[in-house]
Amino acid sequence: MARLALVVLFITALLIPPSDGACSPPLPDPQRLKYPPLTFTPPEPERVELDNGMVLYVLEDRELPVVNVSAVIRVGSAYDPPGLEGLAEITAHVMRTGGTRAMTGDEIDDFLEYTAASISVSSGTDAASADLFVLKKDFDRVFQIFSDILTRPAFDGKKLELAKGLKIEELRRVADVPQRLAFREFRKVIYGGNPRGRLATIESVGRLAKEDLAAFHKRFFFPRNVMMAVAGDVDRKEIVEKFRSRFAGWQNEGRILPVAPPGEKASSSIHHLQKEGPQSTIIVGFLAPEKKSPDSYPFTVLDFILGSGGFRSRIFQEIRSNLGLAYSTGSYYEGREGYGIFGSYAITRSEATGTVLSRLLQILQDAGRRQVREDELTWAKKSIVNSFIFSFSSTDLITTQQMMIEFHGLPPDYLRAYRNRIEAVHPEDVLGVAAQYLRDERATTLVVGDESKFDRPLSTFGDVHKIDWR
Amino acid sequence: MNKQGPFHKIRPLISALAVLSLLALFFLFGPSPSFAYDLEQKVVKHELENGLVVLILERRVNPTVSLYIRHKVGALQEDEGSTGAAHLLEHMLFKGTKTIGTKDYRREKRILDQIRRTGNALDLERLKGERADRGVIDGLSEKLRRLQTQAKGLMVDNEIDRLYTENGAVDLNASTGQDLTTYHVSLPANKLELWARIESDRMMNPVFREFYPERDVVMEERKQTVESTPKRKLTELFLATAFQAHPYRRPVIGWPSDVQSLSMDYIEWFSRTYHAPNNTVIAVVGDVDPVKALGIVKKYFGAIKPVSLPPLRITAEPTQQGEKRVALEADANPHLLIGYHKPTLPSFDDYVFDVIDALLTRGRTSRLYRTLVEERGIAESISTANGLPGAKYPNLFVVMAAPRHPHTAEELEAAIHGEIEKLKKEPVSPRELEKVVNQFRADLIRDLDSNAGLAGKLSYYEAVAGDFRYITRHIQVVESITPDDIMKVARNYLVPENRTVATLVKRGKP
Repeated sequence: MARLALVVLFITALLIPPSDGACSPPLPDPQRLKYPPLTFTPPEPERVELDNGMVLYVLEDRELPVVNVSAVIRVGSAYDPPGLEGLAEITAHVMRTGGTRAMTGDEIDDFLEYTAASISVSSGTDAASADLFVLKKDFDRVFQIFSDILTRPAFDGKKLELAKGLKIEELRRVADVPQRLAFREFRKVIYGGNPRGRLATIESVGRLAKEDLAAFHKRFFFPRNVMMAVAGDVDRKEIVEKFRSRFAGWQNEGRILPVAPPGEKASSSIHHLQKEGPQSTIIVGFLAPEKKSPDSYPFTVLDFILGSGGFRSRIFQEIRSNLGLAYSTGSYYEGREGYGIFGSYAITRSEATGTVLSRLLQILQDAGRRQVREDELTWAKKSIVNSFIFSFSSTDLITTQQMMIEFHGLPPDYLRAYRNRIEAVHPEDVLGVAAQYLRDERATTLVVGDESKFDRPLSTFGDVHKIDWR
Repeated sequence: MNKQGPFHKIRPLISALAVLSLLALFFLFGPSPSFAYDLEQKVVKHELENGLVVLILERRVNPTVSLYIRHKVGALQEDEGSTGAAHLLEHMLFKGTKTIGTKDYRREKRILDQIRRTGNALDLERLKGERADRGVIDGLSEKLRRLQTQAKGLMVDNEIDRLYTENGAVDLNASTGQDLTTYHVSLPANKLELWARIESDRMMNPVFREFYPERDVVMEERKQTVESTPKRKLTELFLATAFQAHPYRRPVIGWPSDVQSLSMDYIEWFSRTYHAPNNTVIAVVGDVDPVKALGIVKKYFGAIKPVSLPPLRITAEPTQQGEKRVALEADANPHLLIGYHKPTLPSFDDYVFDVIDALLTRGRTSRLYRTLVEERGIAESISTANGLPGAKYPNLFVVMAAPRHPHTAEELEAAIHGEIEKLKKEPVSPRELEKVVNQFRADLIRDLDSNAGLAGKLSYYEAVAGDFRYITRHIQVVESITPDDIMKVARNYLVPENRTVATLVKRGKP
């Protein structure tokens, strides 16, 4: 009945003849619109621990006849041995392409593509991941391939050579897109001597041998170092059984050697990489709170206000909207385990490099000196809290997320408490983290661009380290 | 949880050439008739009295809603000398309306009119080039600066973005292509009315604040995404070469000299003329009651007056009669583009090209990947796209490839031609064809998992193909394609005289 009443109401509204735009009824103030309440209790994935210690999260979702599996492994480029940079990435690549003890890589590709399933394995800095998408009807066979890839990869020599060749070609081409070059170089300068700042080179990739991959896999891919999430058209009990039997023989043979977080910098630094072209890429970054730290909440709000909150954020508003000096500009913050990373950036025409860098630095310094305005804080907090619902937009995401919370050592109620933690952030908390983490003497600045066209020499900002990258 | 590096976090606000990647996605899409989820039945389609077409799909998975507005206008409609207008307009629509983004619209309007007149005079003087009067330029520039400062005091910056963001919006963005201009956002489902309020207002009452600084932003965008990115610059050259007369030869972002002097008057005319309800498709997908959602759409968009759209006079591309070759020298490694003219949807041959596209480069077992990347090791990357740079008019089937050092672009090109010859001579095996059909079917199921993805596709095909059911009928046509059809289409279109080849050549060190 309620629905019928509404229909009538809306039809009546339509019967008013559409009039000239100028005399149409005034639009309501968008600030005063009233919204129905939003209620949502996200489904909770179930946590299971297998006998060998592997943690599994499971969530049934019968909407579509598909199954998604995600695995996260505590390994990444941070664990590359010196001289063998690129090992984690190439190991992940060749696990996927180099076959298993049961099938060759080509046989796997043929089977997966014929059944329109997909498996991917990739490695980041501090974590690697493996993902599976499959139509329900093909689950068993594809799941077997997936588990073989994780536990018994064959590392076929020809596929290894191909992976190395492609990576080397990628490195040869890294400067073809200046911004990509800039963000890559930035990792080296912000992490300094830490393993996270040692990146693959043509030489280090060239050195990688099959034995290195096999040893690396053996050392890091074991049940206690892996977590998995499965979501989709599955029966909870049945699927847990399948995981149990499939991974039962997988032994905990490897060992985890924690990699120290990047150390605090003794002083600020400015780096310049000479690259001809019409624009400069400017990045100013700082080490930031780790994900577990209570500081990560005010810092998330700070980052939003500074540059990740869209058009209204300070950096975007000033450098793009007010000055018209950049298309891409803003900031990012990522809290990881043991450390966090914050970066602010702008891509601007060469002739405005000095102007933009100096504005960027002013905005960052100002954050540590003056409290944020009340309206800014309200806007940032509301934005983060209101968009939080999108963390639950698919069961696959919900399940993977719960897995990642445990992976990062966060409390199980992390998500439930998140909104309250953000809402509890006060202006002085934001000022506090800005003053602590964004201090001038902790800044790492990188400019990739053509110095001959700069409006102001970089040396006016401090001592400049030239990067020789060719 | 975010496994991506910092570069991916650059929010690509308003991307002019988004159409390239969008198309690649759209054409790898096909449904399964056997699958119970019947999209055709579930989508509620309604045309308002003013001609606005609304598609609503209820999906109660979580309390969010994704919203797409597609205006059937793009770079295609721009006049010569005003390329980039559709895209600049897209940027301007984030600047607010008469009631959003102002402290006092009546006072603000007086200054904005002065800004318009001053800016026009300044552009006209600058267009004189060598004969321009430096003194006049300096005087007008100073006046414009003063006026802009005054206007700043009367406006509220980036208010549309603030309203959306504060209410929990994600994926707020817009894109301009040759055929369409798109505005999209996802919101908590209870905020549907906010979207209707803002979007109907920006169709009716847009106000072009900060016009000149925003024009500079677009120049920066061009520098970043075209001038500094040799592959994109090559694409621009390639399209300008492949098309001789049709407007698809022009870049969506516009030629630099055009963008620099685009006028507020033209942009305003463009907006009034083409962002009309009878030229617009809306898709609403998510946790909404279709009846209530339609009510909200009617309440806000129903009052917008339709306009009579000017007749579109588009020059047809004459038949190509010989291979075209072009090279770009740049400070970057070699790259190769090979394109062939072909008809667009709903031509049967266009469906055959969707299949050829998948056969050639979809996945590791595809023909070009397996032979050129894996077996012969001469390519670093290879992909194809059916339907560049638009789908309203006959377009191109394009092969994009990068050679792996020390192999050259010439070597790679010859190898690609070899594989294309095979398509003409040897029938595709039943299993290979089945693989492609299986992939198209799985895509549909996979795509059903995303509100935004669905809203994007429904509105895209409704706007370009005239009927969203193109999505569900695509697979039926694809299933009917035979190995003979593929050979026939390859022999018809994939011939040297119909071909354009563009290569990026690494500039020699000075």
